[in-house]
Amino acid sequence: MRESIGKQTGLIFFPAFDWAISPTHPEREERLLYTRDQIFEEGIMDLPQISEYAPVLATAHDIARTHFCVPRVEDQTTEAHLIAAGAAILLADEIASGRLKNGFALVRPPGHHSMRVVRGNRGFCNINNEAIMVDYLRRHHGIKRVAIVDTDVHHGDGTQDIFWHDPDVLFISFHQDGRTLYPGTGFTNEAGGPKAYARTINIPLPPGTTDESLMYVVDNLILPVLNDFKPEFIVNSAGQDNHYTDPLGSMKITAQGYARLTEKLRPDLAVLEGGYAIETALPYVNMGIILALAGLDYTYVREPDLRPFKESPDLASDVRWTVDKLMRQWEKRDLVVPNPEHVKGNYYQQVKSIYYDTDGINENQLEKLRLCGNCPGYLTIDTKATHGYGRTGGRALCVSIPFTACSSCRAEAEDLYEQSKKIKEYQHVYLQDKPSDIFLSYDSASGQERRSEG
Amino acid sequence: MYVGVDVGGTFTDAVLLSNGVIRATAKMPTKADLLESILEALDVVLKDVNIRELKRIVFSTTVITNLIAGQKHDKVALLLIPGPGLSHKHYDFKAEVCVLSGAIDYRGREIVPLNEKEIEEALSGLAAKGFKKVGVVGKFSPRNSAHEKRVAAIIKEKYPDWQAELGFRAGPQLNFPRRAVTTCLTCATRGPYRIFVNSVRQALAKREITAEVFILKADGGTLPLGNSVEQPVETIFSGPAASTLGVQALTPPDVTEVAVDIGGTTTDIALILNGQPLLSAKGARVDEQLTQVRALAVKSVPVGGDSVLELSGNEIVFRPERLGPAYCMGGPAPTPTDALRVLGLTALGDEDKAREAMEDLGAPLGMSAGEAAGKVMSLVVNSITEEVKKMFLEWEQEPAYRIWELLQKKKVRPSIVAGVGGGADGFISQIASELGCQPVIPPYAPVANAIGAAVARPTLQVSLRADTEQGYYNIREEGFQGKIDRQSFNERKALELARERLLGKAAGYGLDVALDDIEVTYQEVFNMIRGWDTAGRLYDLTVQTPRGIAGRIEIGGK
Repeated sequence: MRESIGKQTGLIFFPAFDWAISPTHPEREERLLYTRDQIFEEGIMDLPQISEYAPVLATAHDIARTHFCVPRVEDQTTEAHLIAAGAAILLADEIASGRLKNGFALVRPPGHHSMRVVRGNRGFCNINNEAIMVDYLRRHHGIKRVAIVDTDVHHGDGTQDIFWHDPDVLFISFHQDGRTLYPGTGFTNEAGGPKAYARTINIPLPPGTTDESLMYVVDNLILPVLNDFKPEFIVNSAGQDNHYTDPLGSMKITAQGYARLTEKLRPDLAVLEGGYAIETALPYVNMGIILALAGLDYTYVREPDLRPFKESPDLASDVRWTVDKLMRQWEKRDLVVPNPEHVKGNYYQQVKSIYYDTDGINENQLEKLRLCGNCPGYLTIDTKATHGYGRTGGRALCVSIPFTACSSCRAEAEDLYEQSKKIKEYQHVYLQDKPSDIFLSYDSASGQERRSEG
Repeated sequence: MYVGVDVGGTFTDAVLLSNGVIRATAKMPTKADLLESILEALDVVLKDVNIRELKRIVFSTTVITNLIAGQKHDKVALLLIPGPGLSHKHYDFKAEVCVLSGAIDYRGREIVPLNEKEIEEALSGLAAKGFKKVGVVGKFSPRNSAHEKRVAAIIKEKYPDWQAELGFRAGPQLNFPRRAVTTCLTCATRGPYRIFVNSVRQALAKREITAEVFILKADGGTLPLGNSVEQPVETIFSGPAASTLGVQALTPPDVTEVAVDIGGTTTDIALILNGQPLLSAKGARVDEQLTQVRALAVKSVPVGGDSVLELSGNEIVFRPERLGPAYCMGGPAPTPTDALRVLGLTALGDEDKAREAMEDLGAPLGMSAGEAAGKVMSLVVNSITEEVKKMFLEWEQEPAYRIWELLQKKKVRPSIVAGVGGGADGFISQIASELGCQPVIPPYAPVANAIGAAVARPTLQVSLRADTEQGYYNIREEGFQGKIDRQSFNERKALELARERLLGKAAGYGLDVALDDIEVTYQEVFNMIRGWDTAGRLYDLTVQTPRGIAGRIEIGGK
């Protein structure tokens, strides 16, 4: 935990009042309108505990550090995306440098459904604001251990994908049970790759879960795990659709519940994710989160139609059972050996099929992790996509060298990149060299290589 | 012909302007009797003038600001209706506060009703403590003023001699704490402001002046004197606005410049970007409290020609107070003016006395008089240039909420530093060179504020909010509500309606405004969604008559 006495909470409020996926899409301009009204009317930005910042644009380089955008970063991002990611980076910079106590990037569009490879928009997201920010912090502030706690009602499958094999990033997501909600994943057995087992923790909660069971999860699972992991920086993917009025989710969390959650988590930086009850939830939940971050009294924040929610004893015991199971999984985190079915020689591999709901793209991936005794190992993703109407998005090979890679993995990965450039089946070949912060992309049709350096 | 009069705390200045040429200027000490000071200044500039040819007189004043700073006004109580949200313990108003039940939400819907018994108890409590002035302020009252109006009606019935000010009129922007402060100040200053207005009226009547009379606002716009009584707080801080407009009128058009007004103990800094004075993104700070008063972005640095210099350890520092004139002019302590005299940058005062002051100051540090004077110079220059750099940075970092706004922001740096005020002469070339700018001391710099008042253009604004789901629109400044047709209402109609109301308002103020000159300063349209369907649209827009100066001053046309 950072020294925080007397420091302010940084806020970036960027509603992107001129950006929408489509006019009636839930991810549209007025999503933060009433939140703006509430925050401005309460005079939040004038409080001495709060400092408001104007966002800046993230660079294509910042995005290439985290994502493989096919074919290029410029094709997958608009200015709105760059601003949302840039806002998270700016606040993280201020916090890591000790100028702010903590921060909240109230930005849109959201990002937690964006995976490592980006071929289009899925779950309203193109690029993963939190993951880009985390990789920026590791590069520019030497921060090693990071925890991301995703409190959106939807499983943060994009963030999970990006940090699946990363032992230094703890990803915890609680969400409405994937059997009842998009994206249909996030079960307890999704626990991370062989080198990062249990560093992915999924807490599926039954529809109708109230503040009471949520606090049980926080007190008995999330906080003890954070305490063991000892992150240098805690990120909260602050989705607000667990609220009892959300049109997409079916949970029963209140603004008070969100505020208490924030107070207990003590995140360094919260980044807005989903939440589509733009009138009945967002103004109150956002107020609660901001006040809790700033250490101000949030007990007067209440929804006009607030009523007591009772959950069934079955639901409560269901949640307890899940918490117990995950706690045992966490305790055994270093004793697990890779499933032999997935091990092929020196590689751990898995086949993945990804659907981009917004853009109607089907992507198939073969993901291979180099099993190395000295480091987490480099990762390759062989990806092929079919866009709607049978158009193909081309096949690409992506090679990612992690920050803490050993020299032999680095050399092997570089060699693999060079060899793959000669393979005609790949229209694009990428090398993400995180230790040297150099990102290469090769386009086979033109024979040209693009190089991005920080 | 136009006349500008600036009634300051120390001096009352006036100028007479005719066809862009200064015909006469006056500078008189401000006396306790404002009427006398105004008359003296007017008599000087209107000598040999046919009063019939006088078209307009504009006043600016800091007397209300000084009144607030000195706490020389009747005590005011605030009746607040905050409802749920921020805890009330985070409010810190310099007034007696009673919190009432009741709440309105962001759409103007009542979520908690008023409790009339509670209101009556609160009022009798205030009456027992001797309060007669109250501000009634509700959260989201600009969206629905019913609660504030009901409380006012109860006050009128039970305590007909009380003065009650309502938040939705005094502070129509979204910001409840600032609305409360602005309402409180409105309540406190309305009486004394009326006295000021009456002094002006009497002065004009005595000299049989029948020209249009306006008062300068803090944002550089003006209000007709009669109507200004409705919004007295708009006129506080018009002093800095006056000198900024003065600089604008005295320097070339379309330049980016810094206006530095160096006075006895404070220096006011304003930015003019591409010929337009920069407005503060948020309202003015008055007496350490944040208000909704739109104001030019003016920063004050507590240093001036008469600031007291002393040693603090091994450093020369200045104290933000005045003990008297400079040592070289018979004062008790060394000042920046003495440093200027030693460096040969001013002809004021006695050179030997100045040298003595600097020698005494520098001796414990082993500095000669010249070295000490040089040190003082850089101290003053640095504190001003640092603030200028900070202002540009703050302007760049001002929050933006739309993509195009953010992409539009560009780095802008000034090319001119224009100095006005008594202390400007000696310091301005150093300040300019530090900022890489050209120094300019415009002619008539000592009366730039009165010139600013004389050239200010009259301005008015109207804010409209229309809600097609609920089928009505309201005009924020007037608390007016009207019906609209849910089906056919659109953005164009909203704009027409706002322009129409503005023209009507302008006509009521006797202003002649062309439709094409109306500026749209704020415009937002949002779909309102119930579940998944668009249930209606919300239109929010603000239109105003153009701000700025009516013309430039021809330099050298004395």
